[in-house]
Amino acid sequence: MREILRAFGGPLSLVIGTLVGFWLLILVAVPQVAMLDYSLWSQAANADLSAAIDRAYAEATMAEFDRRAEANPAKATELDEKLTALKRTIAELEAAQTSPPKTYGLQNYTRMSPLHAYIFVRTILSALAVAAVALVVCYPIAYAAAFAPTPRRAAILLTALLVPYAMNELLRVYAWLMIFDYRGVLNSLFAAVGLADLEARRWVPFLETQGALFTVMVSVYALFMVFPIMNTLQTLDPHQIEAARDLGASAWRIHARVVIPHAKPGIAVGVITVFMLAAGSFAVPQILSRGTGGDWFSQLVYRQFFEANNWNLGSAYAFSLLVVSLAIVFAMMRAFGVSLREITK
Amino acid sequence: MRGTDVRLDHVDVTFGDFQAISDVSLEVEPGEFFSILGPSGCGKTTLLRLISGFQEPTRGRVLIGGADMAGRGPNRRPTALIFQNLALFPLMSVRENVAFGLEARGIPKRERLARADALLALVALEGQGAKKPGELSGGQRQRVAIARALAVEPAVLLLDEPLSALDLKLRQHMRAELKAIQRKTGVTFIYITHDQGEALTMSDRIAVMNRGRVEQVGRPEELYAEPATPFVATFVGEQNVLIGTVAASAPGEAAVDTPLGRLVGRTANGAPAVGSRAFVMIRPERLRLSDGAALAGVVSRRDLEGPFFVLHVESGDTRLVAHVPNSGAIPEPGARVALAVDPADMLILPEGETARA
Repeated sequence: MREILRAFGGPLSLVIGTLVGFWLLILVAVPQVAMLDYSLWSQAANADLSAAIDRAYAEATMAEFDRRAEANPAKATELDEKLTALKRTIAELEAAQTSPPKTYGLQNYTRMSPLHAYIFVRTILSALAVAAVALVVCYPIAYAAAFAPTPRRAAILLTALLVPYAMNELLRVYAWLMIFDYRGVLNSLFAAVGLADLEARRWVPFLETQGALFTVMVSVYALFMVFPIMNTLQTLDPHQIEAARDLGASAWRIHARVVIPHAKPGIAVGVITVFMLAAGSFAVPQILSRGTGGDWFSQLVYRQFFEANNWNLGSAYAFSLLVVSLAIVFAMMRAFGVSLREITK
Repeated sequence: MRGTDVRLDHVDVTFGDFQAISDVSLEVEPGEFFSILGPSGCGKTTLLRLISGFQEPTRGRVLIGGADMAGRGPNRRPTALIFQNLALFPLMSVRENVAFGLEARGIPKRERLARADALLALVALEGQGAKKPGELSGGQRQRVAIARALAVEPAVLLLDEPLSALDLKLRQHMRAELKAIQRKTGVTFIYITHDQGEALTMSDRIAVMNRGRVEQVGRPEELYAEPATPFVATFVGEQNVLIGTVAASAPGEAAVDTPLGRLVGRTANGAPAVGSRAFVMIRPERLRLSDGAALAGVVSRRDLEGPFFVLHVESGDTRLVAHVPNSGAIPEPGARVALAVDPADMLILPEGETARA
C-alpha cells in the first residue's frame, strides 16, 4: 500500500484503491454473498393460509351484518370489538401470505433430484473432457505459433487464430449449428457422396451427440488454451530444444522432458480456464442441442431462476457448481504441481 | 573417449542472398584443440552449426571421422555442442542434466546417474548433483555444461563462446580447466570465440575467419608472428598500421614510403610490386624508446597496464602505440620521444581489409 502511494502519489493511489475496492466489493463480494444468502433460505407457500383468510373474511362479513341489525348497545359494542379483532387477524394473515417467513437452512442443498445430480456430475465430467480435448488440440498450435520460423509466419498464424474470435460467440455457435444440423453442411456433403439421403430423412444426427457439443466447445474456447500455452512457450530458450536434440533426444522426449515441463504453468492456466468456461457454458448447449443432446447443468440453473421461479434453489445449484468447480481447479493445480503464484505470473 | 578428425570440403552456406560461408575448407586433426576466431557476424557460429548438424551446407561436404554427414541430424552425429548461454535445463537437477543424453539413449536410470556422478567428479562438482542449475555459480554451471556434453561420449566437442558470460578471473581459470579436460579426455575440441586471447592461450591451431571466409589457419605463434593478411595481422594481437607506397622490392624484403619516412621491412609472401599500396605492420611491444631519430613523435597519452606502459605517440596525423616496460624513466605526456624498431619486426603486407577499418 505504502509502495503504491510512493510510486503514484496521493490522488492516483486513491483512484487505484477505490477502483480495486469497487471491483472486489461490488463486482465480486456482493453478488456472491447475495447468491449464498438466497441459497440458504426458503419460503414455504402455505395453502392453509388462504383458506384461513377466506374464513376470516366470511366471518367478518357475517359480523358486520349482525352489527347493522343489532339494537342492543351492549351487544353492539361486543360486535364492534369482534370486528376489530377479525380485521387485525385478516391483516396478519395477509401479511404472512404476501411475505411468508424465511426458513434458513441447508434444505436447498439437499433437495437435488437424482436426475439433476446425474446432470451435475455429467456436466463436470464433460467439462473436464472438453478441457482435455482442447489441450490435445491446442498444444501443437501453440507450439507452432511460439516457434514459428519467421515473424511473418507467426503473425499469419496468430491472425488466423484471432479472426474467428472477432465474431460474436453466438454467431460462431450458430455457424456450427448450420454445419451440424440435420440438413446442414456436413449432412449435405454426406448426401452428395451418397452417405446420407435428406429426402428420406436418412442423416447423421450430429446434434444429438456429445461429440458435436465437444467440437463446438473446443472451437469456442480454444483461444483460452492456445494463448497461455503460447505465452509460456515463448519464454523457452530455443537453445534448450536444440541442446536436447544435440544430446540425442527424440522429438517425443524433447517435449516430455523439456518443453512440457516448461509450459506447465501455461497448460494449467489453459486447462483451468477452459474447464471453468465449459462447466458454466449456457449458450453452446442451449443453442446446439435444443433438448436433443441432454442438458448441461447451467441450463438447469437457468430454469430454476426463470421458469420454476425458485431463485433459492437456483442459487443453491449455482453455488454448488461454483464450489465443486473451484475444488476441481485446486485439485488440478495440485496435480500440475503449480502454485497460484506461478499461474498469475 | 577418443577424438576423431573433422573435415570441411569447399563448404558454402547461403541464407537467401546472404552468403554466410564462402568456400571454406578445413581439416581438424583428431584430439586437437582447434579454435575458430573471428569478429561477430563472420560466420563462425554458422560453421559450428554446420558441424553439429543444425545447418546443412548449401554446397560442399562435412566429414566427421571420414564419414559424410549429409542428411544426418544433430541427434545422430558424434558431436556435442556447448551453447553460448549453456542451455542447461533449469527444471532438472544437475545430475539429470548430465544424465540427459544417456537417458535419450535408453540407459537405465541407476547406471546413467552413476555415470553422471563420475562426470561431475571429473569437472570437480562432486556432491552438487542434487542442486538445480540456477543454484550454482557461473563457473559451476559452465562445468555442468561440459559434463553434460561429455556424457554422450562425443568424438568432437563443439564450444560456442562458452566463457563469454564469465568475469575475467573466472574466464582465465576456466581456460586452463578446459584445456586440462581436453587433454584428459582426448576429445577433439572445436572452440568458437571472438576473443583472440582465449584462442591464443588454449588452441593447438586457430582458423581466423572474416566475412564467411577462412583467412588463415595456423598455430597461435604462427598467426601472431606471420600473419598472411592485414586482417589477421590486425585481428590477432595489437598492431600499428602505417600505410604507404612500395618504393623498392626484393624477395623477402621491401621498402615502403610512409608518412613517417621510408621504412624497410620483411615481406610475408613474395615481393610486392613497386608503386603498389602496402601496409607496414609493427607490434607495439617491438617498438622501443631509443636515442636515435628513427620514428620521432610527441607522447599524447600514457596508460599504465601493470607490467608495461602504453605510450601513444603522435607524429603529424600518424599515431603509434608502444608498449614500454615498466622500468626506468617513462616519458610524460608532451615529451618528445624517438622510437626504434628492427627491420625484422616490420611486416609489409599488400593493402587490404583490416580488423579495425
